[in-house]
Amino acid sequence: MTAIVDCKGITKHYRQGSIDVPALRGVDLAIEQGDFASLAGPSGSGKTTLLNIVGGLDRPTDGTISIDGQDLTALDNEDLADLRLRKIGFVFQAYNLIPVLSAVENVEFTLQLMDVPAAERRERAKEMLQQVGLESMENRRPSRLSGGQQQRVAVARALASRPSIVLADEPTANLDTQTAEDLIALMSRLNERYGVTFLMATHDDRVISRTRRHIVIADGRVASDERRTLEMAG
Amino acid sequence: MMDRLRLLLPLAWRNLWRNPRRTIITVLVVSVGLWSILTFSVLLKAWSVSSRDTTLKLMTGEGQIHATGYLDDPTVAHRTAQPGGELESILASPAVTAYTQRLRVAAIVQSEYKTLPMTLVGTDPARERRLSVLPDRVGDGRYLDGPADTGIVLGRNLARRLKTRIGKRVVVMAQDENGKLAERAFQVVGLYAAPQQTEDQFAFTGLKTAQALTGIGTDITEIAFVTPDDRDIADVLARMKASSPGLDIQSWKTLAPLSYAVSTFFNEFILMWLWIMFALMAIGIVNTQLMAVFERIREFGLLQALGMRPRLVLMEVTLESAMLIGVGVGMGIALSVLSVQAFPNGIDLGFLGRGAELVGAGHILYPKVDAGDFVLYSLIVWTLGVVATLWPARRASRVSPVEAMGRF
Repeated sequence: MTAIVDCKGITKHYRQGSIDVPALRGVDLAIEQGDFASLAGPSGSGKTTLLNIVGGLDRPTDGTISIDGQDLTALDNEDLADLRLRKIGFVFQAYNLIPVLSAVENVEFTLQLMDVPAAERRERAKEMLQQVGLESMENRRPSRLSGGQQQRVAVARALASRPSIVLADEPTANLDTQTAEDLIALMSRLNERYGVTFLMATHDDRVISRTRRHIVIADGRVASDERRTLEMAG
Repeated sequence: MMDRLRLLLPLAWRNLWRNPRRTIITVLVVSVGLWSILTFSVLLKAWSVSSRDTTLKLMTGEGQIHATGYLDDPTVAHRTAQPGGELESILASPAVTAYTQRLRVAAIVQSEYKTLPMTLVGTDPARERRLSVLPDRVGDGRYLDGPADTGIVLGRNLARRLKTRIGKRVVVMAQDENGKLAERAFQVVGLYAAPQQTEDQFAFTGLKTAQALTGIGTDITEIAFVTPDDRDIADVLARMKASSPGLDIQSWKTLAPLSYAVSTFFNEFILMWLWIMFALMAIGIVNTQLMAVFERIREFGLLQALGMRPRLVLMEVTLESAMLIGVGVGMGIALSVLSVQAFPNGIDLGFLGRGAELVGAGHILYPKVDAGDFVLYSLIVWTLGVVATLWPARRASRVSPVEAMGRF
């Protein structure tokens, strides 16, 4: 298996006044092509910090991290933004759609940043909205979509740029049971059908039970990393 | 670049209208500020032009030629011959639109009721008409017929003070070439209207009549001239001075320092006003944009998380400001044009009484839109406004996605 994400000896310390607070204490982790992985752990365990570092949103204090073989620690802010654009898709807990853009424009946004030609861009955006079952709502702005619909647009946006990996942070936290089930099924289907790699930080047992790899973080370290078949997981 | 603009323009425009009240207030601040700058500049320029024209088109012209010493002691002792040679060629060339010779001498005018000091101006009426508006300001009676006209044209106020009128006779006394008192009776043939100071000071007769009164033959004391464009006057003056080193040749800026001072002061005042208004506008614009940036800090973090380069975030916020200020500038220009067009017949300064005359302005100001000034001041306001918003824009572009979004 090819490692999409390769973390070696990642540490992260925060300063709180004069106190040095360690959030990660030497994490070694490889996420491989086609993984459908959950990242769990108690609050304060460091899973969000790890997700931030994997996503190129934060920098480690020590250690190296590479995505598709590219060392993130060597990049400046402009190049890091470019790497996020081309390699990583994000699904946020609070959806985080751009409020002044319609559903299809939100999906198109990253493609536009990537200079994809207009016709191809629109076609791909519509295709992604169709995949998440929102083809009839493409012209609605986020304020006119339900929470579940917004999260599906966020998934479509994350996938539109065909990233190496999709990082999701508590993707079901703000959704009702049925909508959460639908979203998990959608991501699982995309993983199985198209081989999209997912890494999801979550507390939600429904998500954890559907993933084929389960990583637990505790006290800033990988406490367990379990691979399982879907039958085992389900 | 065009692709980037296609991405950013709709985003920036829609973001502007997310908080319509704030956008409208900012647009109003910019438009009212620019309106005040443009409208004041038009009014002050109209005042400046009026002040200049009042002075130049009454008697002064854009330049004058005298014998050396005449300006300090304006008597016939400091007279000069009619222009000839190189000087006459320059006066007759296209570099000079019109010129007139005058005999201008201090005199006393006496009616049967009163004796008053004034200045007698002997002139060639045909030439004077091409240079001065006074011949057209004769409301009662007529202006002079020719250089040999023996009538006298008085200012209305001087005639009122002398208690004389058209058809009556007055006696004018002046020193002749030998310093002796010469006198002559004149029939009042016309009364002209002008600023009161001018009406009280100047009385006009034919050039030859005045020359005969003072006994100076065909000599004169003054040549006044105008040029096609007073920006070229320095060149004309230099040529004249080179051709006639013995003569005192001056521009209106020296001859009418008050008018020149008013003109230059107003230009400085417009610039001062521009900076004051801009400082006030900048505070409003920067404050608004800072508020907008802080309110949307999470969104800027999101844009960067999604892969928007910090440089593009800076462009996006700057573009919003450019549009916001651009709309305000457009409205400010429209308001100013409407304000100026509201006075197609000029602004009557009658309500100021003699106040306007004292600083050299005419009775009516004619405000006129100067496209060059409008474009320049609007560009300055727009550019400086956009530059002022680079600070909040830079803050937006430098947010850390993690910190801005609280958590991933």
